[in-house]
Amino acid sequence: MLDPLPGNRWNTETAAHLMNRAGFGGSPAAIESLRALGLYNAVSWFVDYERIHDDTPAPDWAHPDPDLIARREAIRNAADPETRRILQQQMYQEQSAHMADLRYWWLRRMALGPRPFQEKMTLFWHGHFATSYEKVNNPYFLWLQNETLRQNATGNFNQLLIAVAEDPAMLVYLDGANSYKSHPNENFAREVMELFTLGEGHYTEQDIQQAAKAYTGWGLSKDRLRYEYHYFNHDPGPKTIFGQTGNYSGEEVLGLICAKPECSRFIAERIWRFFVQDSPPEACVAALADVLQKSNMDLKHTMGVLFRSKEFHAPEVIRSQIKSPVQWMIQATHQLQAPLPTQPMSLVMLRQLGQELFQPPNVKGWDGGIAWITTNNWLDRCNYAAALVEGNRVPLPGLQGQMRNLLNSTSPDGLLEVQPGNLTSLFNPGELADGQNFITALQSRFLNAELKPQRQAVLTEFLKTRSPLEETDIRKAIRLIMCMPEYQLT
Amino acid sequence: MNPPLFTTRRDFLRTTILGGALSWTVPSFVAQTFQALQAQADGALTQVQTGKDGPILVLIQLAGGNDGLNTVVPYTNDFYHNARKSIGIPANSVLSLSDTLGLNPVMTGFKGLFDAGHLSVVSGVGYPNPNRSHFRSTEIWQTASDEDKYLADGWLGRYFDNACQGCDPTLAVNIGPRLPQAFAAHTPTGISLENPDSYRFIGAGQNDDETVAYRSMYSTPDDPLPDLSSGGGAANSGGSVSMVSGTVMLQNGQSALDFLERTSLDAQVSSDKIRAITSKTPMRSNYPRNGLANNLQLVARLIAGGLPSRIFYVSQGGYDTHTNQRGSQDARLRELSDSVKAFTEDLTTMGVFDRVMIMTFSEFGRRVQENASGGTDHGAAAPMFLIGGKLKGGLLGAEPSLNPKDLKDGDIQYNTDFRSVYASILQDWLKTNPAPILGKAFPTLPIVATA
Repeated sequence: MLDPLPGNRWNTETAAHLMNRAGFGGSPAAIESLRALGLYNAVSWFVDYERIHDDTPAPDWAHPDPDLIARREAIRNAADPETRRILQQQMYQEQSAHMADLRYWWLRRMALGPRPFQEKMTLFWHGHFATSYEKVNNPYFLWLQNETLRQNATGNFNQLLIAVAEDPAMLVYLDGANSYKSHPNENFAREVMELFTLGEGHYTEQDIQQAAKAYTGWGLSKDRLRYEYHYFNHDPGPKTIFGQTGNYSGEEVLGLICAKPECSRFIAERIWRFFVQDSPPEACVAALADVLQKSNMDLKHTMGVLFRSKEFHAPEVIRSQIKSPVQWMIQATHQLQAPLPTQPMSLVMLRQLGQELFQPPNVKGWDGGIAWITTNNWLDRCNYAAALVEGNRVPLPGLQGQMRNLLNSTSPDGLLEVQPGNLTSLFNPGELADGQNFITALQSRFLNAELKPQRQAVLTEFLKTRSPLEETDIRKAIRLIMCMPEYQLT
Repeated sequence: MNPPLFTTRRDFLRTTILGGALSWTVPSFVAQTFQALQAQADGALTQVQTGKDGPILVLIQLAGGNDGLNTVVPYTNDFYHNARKSIGIPANSVLSLSDTLGLNPVMTGFKGLFDAGHLSVVSGVGYPNPNRSHFRSTEIWQTASDEDKYLADGWLGRYFDNACQGCDPTLAVNIGPRLPQAFAAHTPTGISLENPDSYRFIGAGQNDDETVAYRSMYSTPDDPLPDLSSGGGAANSGGSVSMVSGTVMLQNGQSALDFLERTSLDAQVSSDKIRAITSKTPMRSNYPRNGLANNLQLVARLIAGGLPSRIFYVSQGGYDTHTNQRGSQDARLRELSDSVKAFTEDLTTMGVFDRVMIMTFSEFGRRVQENASGGTDHGAAAPMFLIGGKLKGGLLGAEPSLNPKDLKDGDIQYNTDFRSVYASILQDWLKTNPAPILGKAFPTLPIVATA
């Protein structure tokens, strides 16, 4: 189990697979460079990303706002309702603008940053430790959590867990900041075991109640800008958790949780579901859990073993995963060698397709897999593909109400502006010379595989009467392939 | 020039989209619906008798937490007037429902429905240990869970999973971009559509050769699609496969590609069908101009056009009235009341009002004591409205006490669990046993008029 892929199976297809799963895909040239590195080094290129310099600057607003409390008080103490309304509106608009900026900042970093695997892991942990703007209501805290996830993305799981737990966003989201010695709040205590580490059935109600006492004392500073430990609010007494009794701190309880074999298993399963297969074979999960546990929860080591394994590169794994909206969009821009759509456009698309960053549907995160696809967003994917490939000739559906307001507020004119690149230049003259060559090139660039015969026939029929191929024919053919079932897989 | 629509049985078959394997490659709702379309093509513009006169439930979500006290006003209650010095509604302006309760004065439409015996108010609806978070409380209402339990599936999703295995498939339609969690199910159920005009493949070019090519993807009968709904016990899951949240494993070795082929076919067929219906069913002019009214009008057209659905879901936002509540809430309630009135008139004209029940709900009511901003903060129990041609009408549920000593952290305590209302609808309207859907038995209320 999890033995390295034999050298003779490392080829363009497996290199593309690694590129899609460990990162967000790439152009044929990028895939070729990766293949040329060989399996071991290719995986190292992704996983040992510390060797690659990343100087992405933080958003310029991403620092604690020392006036926050004063501004909130000004709203509360406003002289009259009209003044209050105006102040509130100002604050709301500023926060909305920061959230839009944050979402696009991260999306760009995923698409263009120098360390795709670090961003892919950060996205994985964002879904795992799902935290929503809807409750946190503070763009700075969400940026801070995003950094915490990024910095700890492939470190030690136990440290990651503690870092996330003591991060302001989580303290607000699961009410840790409102948990008191006299009255421990059990929200975080429950979710950390149920959703973050063990899964249902591996703890008792009593474990939750006792653990909640240990987490007391974690709070926010008076100015609500950062984490602060309040020893006076911590319950120092004995707690009995998993049958062991001690005067545990919150960190110690998280350590007890991480030491349980069920935790390695749970995390291994989540990793397998996100990076490999929706329905993980039991033996694979067990093998990966073993790697995780034996490495003392070392995520970098574990991911390296996974990406080099035969199981990860198994034929039934390759192209079996339904692209998330983020994957769909970024992979498309790499294949098209085009820039990301504008900020409002990108954010509208992701929201409509069901993956609004920093706003997962609930504490369980995005379900992923076939849950990404509904009849409505199937059609949206087809129509957004047209926008990406053909520009704003194609009207975008679904821009109503809130969404239209968002667009109008940020982009009064270039509402649906997309500037697709020069797509003819993606292909060499030989590939454009006849229909069949072109279909082969399309399949290679957009699928790394072949379409089913009946869908190849659709393209053949479409291209039959078009020779020589013009730019519009090329765009339409690309749009068509992006509207085919195979294209939704990676 | 739009591509042709499948509007008659002959058209439908001629396209070869169904090939020769209609019975198993195509969700049976499609078959049902094209019969409906056929019937409609043959006859007049009346409700096609498909879905076999099945009852229809229309849910209206009032998102943001509607203030119940200024909706159904306890106008003779001094505690109310004391707590609502600036935003309270004067007793002499309410639309009286009883000696103690009156509607917000903007809700003349609802008053008319109440007087006609078509509207019930259920007072004091909530749940134990109420949660004041929008998203968590919404989730509780959508999944019908206890406050401390997280359920993946929605209450309507469980209705489809539990009550409809082996029976004719039913289709749930959400008017909006994303399926509500209430639809989340083990077996995929329901379509989401935001706008019938954009619920389609939008082609480009003068001759729209793109659309022609796209549609030709579905016209190869010699490689039929596998039947995703044939998995254990889920035969006839039918419903356009618009997968919702909930961890659903592909069954019987179905691959993700099979699923995508199936969903894209469903999207294409339901897109054609819905556009066929909306193109044949004229818009009526009596609706006010607002988003909710537009959506209810679309629901009426889909019902009239014979879409065999049991559940429609629409949503109205704007109820999170922390400041200046009177202006904003009154505007929302006026929209609600006027839009629902127009909808019920439309349904009555079509002769289907007896088949429809409308239920309103909101994630919570609001604090009894108004705040310093002329608004109210997140609270707990609130009234619900049930509206329909066959309703008993009147006032249900015990009115909650507003005496400060009876409040919990300033909030109204519930008398009727919202799951009692769900149970009543499931049992007496949708005619199914509510206990397996709601996880336990809840007392029911007499909501439906006995024949």
